[in-house]
Amino acid sequence: MTSLQTDGRVADGRLLTVEDLRTTFATERGPVCAVDGVSLTLDRGQALGIVGESGSGKTVLSRSIMGLLPSTARREGSIRFGDQDLLGPNAPDMSRLWGREMSMVFQNPMVSLNPVMRIGEQIAEPLRIHLGMSRRDAKATAIRLLRDVRIPEPDRRVDQYPHELSGGMRQRVMIAIALACGPTLLFADEPTTALDVTVQAQILELIAEQRAERNMSVVLVTHDLGVVAGHTDVIAVMYGGRLVEIAPTKVLFSQMRMPYTEALLQSIPRLDQKSHTRLNAIPGRPPDLHDPPRGCAFAPRCAFARDRCREEAPPLATAENPDHKFACWYPVGSPEYHETKERISAGLEIGSTS
Amino acid sequence: MQRLAASVMLILAVSMLTFGAMNLLGDPLFNILGPAAADTKPESLAKVAAAKELYYLDRPLPERYVRWLGDMVTGDFGVQFGSTGQPPVSELVKERFPRSLTLLVMAQLLAAMIAIPWALISAARANKPADRISTVNSFLLIAMPNFALAVILKYVFGIKLGWFPLTFKATDPWLTRVYQTFLPALTIALPAAAVYQRLLRTDLITTLQEDFILMARSKGVGRQRVLFKHALRPSLFSFITVFGINTGTLIGGSLIVENIFRIPGLGSAIVEAILREDFPVVLAIVMIITTAFVLVNVLVDAVYTLIDPRVRR
Repeated sequence: MTSLQTDGRVADGRLLTVEDLRTTFATERGPVCAVDGVSLTLDRGQALGIVGESGSGKTVLSRSIMGLLPSTARREGSIRFGDQDLLGPNAPDMSRLWGREMSMVFQNPMVSLNPVMRIGEQIAEPLRIHLGMSRRDAKATAIRLLRDVRIPEPDRRVDQYPHELSGGMRQRVMIAIALACGPTLLFADEPTTALDVTVQAQILELIAEQRAERNMSVVLVTHDLGVVAGHTDVIAVMYGGRLVEIAPTKVLFSQMRMPYTEALLQSIPRLDQKSHTRLNAIPGRPPDLHDPPRGCAFAPRCAFARDRCREEAPPLATAENPDHKFACWYPVGSPEYHETKERISAGLEIGSTS
Repeated sequence: MQRLAASVMLILAVSMLTFGAMNLLGDPLFNILGPAAADTKPESLAKVAAAKELYYLDRPLPERYVRWLGDMVTGDFGVQFGSTGQPPVSELVKERFPRSLTLLVMAQLLAAMIAIPWALISAARANKPADRISTVNSFLLIAMPNFALAVILKYVFGIKLGWFPLTFKATDPWLTRVYQTFLPALTIALPAAAVYQRLLRTDLITTLQEDFILMARSKGVGRQRVLFKHALRPSLFSFITVFGINTGTLIGGSLIVENIFRIPGLGSAIVEAILREDFPVVLAIVMIITTAFVLVNVLVDAVYTLIDPRVRR
């Protein structure tokens, strides 16, 4: 285990508070609002899943919180990390937080490690920068970290280059780098997308294990509801830059209200279906954020959308459970939802007989 | 190792071409001696006898080639029959080559020293005003003919400021001559630096978009360290390739710059030799230049493997 620093850190309770965060990119076709009024909180040791299709703003949201954005981006709203205000006038120098208090595991381990730098050096870098370790101590710690992330023969691997390792190994190295200084908050941006299915589970297991061991908070960004199901406490579903549903994981899976969340879940192939069942893809494409629709962003693709959905964007409303919020006029379970559902199944039967 | 063998083969091929040019295109005796070969004056007859001896002209062709090659390898490049006193070619080479080499090394060092920081600065500020201005400047330097640049540098640093001497004196001590070589080296270095800067800047900008750069930043690595430690090394490829080619080209000396600054280097030597139809001198210089060119390329390949572990086999 790496030595953890404790001074000035949130030992327990609220670690992250995001309020009404808006991230806008200046592009040649005008401003694009990639994150639109997102609010959420995260406690120390908790795991939050951010779920959505590509283009839903989930990656931008995590990078906005971390502040890892290109210079064309502008952030509004408020982000509080521990007792620090990350967006206010007294915002700290983020590069002192990066790698030390919060770090990120990127999507593609094949291109996210420096190809011309030894693995040991890449792990040692944050240790030397933030903790002022000597070259020797940093290397010893790097070997320990490699052992922590279950890389065999860490003494030999530490001197190798990234191209000498497999994809799964490289993702383990990325995790070792992210964990090096013992951060309180770890962002994992689609950490398993580029990996083999067999390796995916191992990587998620590794992150979960390190989270428990270090009492670390994790933000897990993914398009796969199946991935977050077993590894998060809270799930936030994003669509078109907005939060459309957020709930504790168990509540979300048992009482999901947003048709988009339901559609996402149905688009995952299931083992208990008979083979050659048609995969339920969500029809259409995510909205063009240069010219967002007036009403609910999901309305053009939603089977349950009515006139009101196309006219007026639904606010984030609280469900029976106070921790469960969703943005939908005719949510799953409402009379209008059932009516439409019946109409669809009736239509399907007609279709199948002809 | 394979590259090295290929390089030796290449040098051998060039030597055969050179040898062929001298021995198969026309009468070798005439090629070596010029008009004196057909003369019947006693001193010309003496020259003919000496040349036959020196170039093994009474031996069969293959043996002649092997002996000639052996002489070349041991630094015996023949004799300048056209000049008074008939000094050996190696003397001329020994006198001229170091000057061109000094010029080359200085010019390339200066160019690299200018180009690398310049590229780093403009890549870090890509498409911002500072980068735009630097782009205009680099195109200006590339577009300007080097005799014009030489004249400007001579005027500004030589005449107005008086920092550097205007001419080269072969009799001065070594260090003074290096000092005298600075302005001509700068004349070669500036446009070369502009080309290197263009290449390196483009590669740097591409590298800076890579995921591993974002990864490095997310570790808390500062911007400067990201540029130097993470972005520079993987961006060096085109720069080093062109740097190598340029070095090879410059080994023959830069004729125009050598002329303007009155440096009697290899460039002027080859022109003089061609003008007085002094075949042995031309051939010797061609052999030296090609060998050096090939060696530089072997070196460039070695540098590749140093920079990128993925190239190693």
